[in-house]
Amino acid sequence: MQEYRTIPITKTDIVPTALRMRHEGRHLVMIHGYLDKDGSTHVSWDYAVGNAVESYYIVGETTFPSIEGVYDEAARWPELELYELLGLTFEGLDTSARLFLPEDTLETQGKGHIVVTPLSELREKRLEMEKEE
Amino acid sequence: MSYIVPIGPYHPALEEPVHAKLYTEGEVITDAEVYVGYNHRGIEKLATERNAIQTLVLVERVCGICSHSHSFTYAMAVEGINGVEVPRRGQYIRVITAELERLHSHMLWAGIAFHIIGHDSMFMYTWDAREVIMDMLEELSGNRVNYAMVTIGGARRDISDDMRRKFLKNLDACVPKLDRITEIALNDKTIALRTKGVGVMSTEDAVRLGAVGPHARASNVKIDVRKDAPYSCYDEFDFNICTWDSCDVFARVVVRLLECYESVKILRQALENLPEGPINNGNKLPKIAEGEMVSRHEAPRGQLIHKVVGNGSLFNHRVSIHVPTFKNVTTVPLMLRGNTVADAGLIIAGIDPCFSCLDR
Repeated sequence: MQEYRTIPITKTDIVPTALRMRHEGRHLVMIHGYLDKDGSTHVSWDYAVGNAVESYYIVGETTFPSIEGVYDEAARWPELELYELLGLTFEGLDTSARLFLPEDTLETQGKGHIVVTPLSELREKRLEMEKEE
Repeated sequence: MSYIVPIGPYHPALEEPVHAKLYTEGEVITDAEVYVGYNHRGIEKLATERNAIQTLVLVERVCGICSHSHSFTYAMAVEGINGVEVPRRGQYIRVITAELERLHSHMLWAGIAFHIIGHDSMFMYTWDAREVIMDMLEELSGNRVNYAMVTIGGARRDISDDMRRKFLKNLDACVPKLDRITEIALNDKTIALRTKGVGVMSTEDAVRLGAVGPHARASNVKIDVRKDAPYSCYDEFDFNICTWDSCDVFARVVVRLLECYESVKILRQALENLPEGPINNGNKLPKIAEGEMVSRHEAPRGQLIHKVVGNGSLFNHRVSIHVPTFKNVTTVPLMLRGNTVADAGLIIAGIDPCFSCLDR
């Protein structure tokens, strides 16, 4: 059966953990991020270790060092996704190209609002916009 | 002369929304960029305002080809959080659907690959063989896409004894067709000329870029979630991981065709040894307990990842879906370099992409 383990780390452990995992030949499953119920960010670096996923997580931070130098493209896309959809900053990550959002979204609408704003609020905003039109 | 050749945002053969920018020197591609995001539907966002049963229906619509994989993986994540034990018959039915799905997905891709290569007779042979599998899926679930076979804690539909025997017969009828396709694919000159040495990705690059699924196995990387991290009842079946060492588009065709035989092998074992008992734990709407889980499933295209976070209510706090194409598409620029523009369509299609799932 697949297992799942969570391990809390600090910002300084991110790159050493990635280097250790790379050295051991582990697969970077994904970098996941979400807002917990208190509204603080929860970001986890998930690695496949045998039949388990080890999830190294940090709560309440918004800037992180990029591990693109360790895991190459396998880390770049997940980091870009978190930058666009959650508004998190990865130091050393090239963010000039967009991933999911339209070319002009970052300038005109800000970033990170899609996953953060409750759907009901977005719906109300949309209705208001329609009324104004 | 150098040119910039745009392809897309609509793939010429795959009917998938992707945009590739090719920097060329004459006919030869020197660099390439891939852009996605043309079909972002906000499914992860919608899932935060749905309960577990509604989410099963929702995530099934992430992908048309591997729809069962998504509901299977989501159900595994919720069962992992809640600590639900799935009855063995339910597990077997899930695996049977998953393997039928893999068969039809691989054959669909092989057919399209042959069509792009320009071998349209093979396209028709392959899709003819695929139709047998589609009929089985239709008989099993009532649908040709979005099978709705999974519920939290088991399967939704049972397999009768007649159906079981009929499926075994259908598989016997499918294998000779598969043999013929594989024989032609391995020996045909047209296919060899268009695929051998095209879109090469070395084993080191596949590991470095984190490629998954058949795409990585065609570069001789031995990874398969079904073997590396067995889930459901996959540890009870005898099957092999298929790899090929030529690392080109030819290898991708061969690996997928060989995997069809492994799927048939698993299906035979599952249908012959289908355990007795209930198929699920009843239809009560489950609460998602406080906690989180990452579940992985070997979808037809590679490792599919679902992360579910529950907060003790009926609704998901967060569902994060990452499809295999998310990992594989980053290898495309590397494979395009040094090939001609005429092969670009085939090389992009070679990863068996599903960009709509990637955008989700």
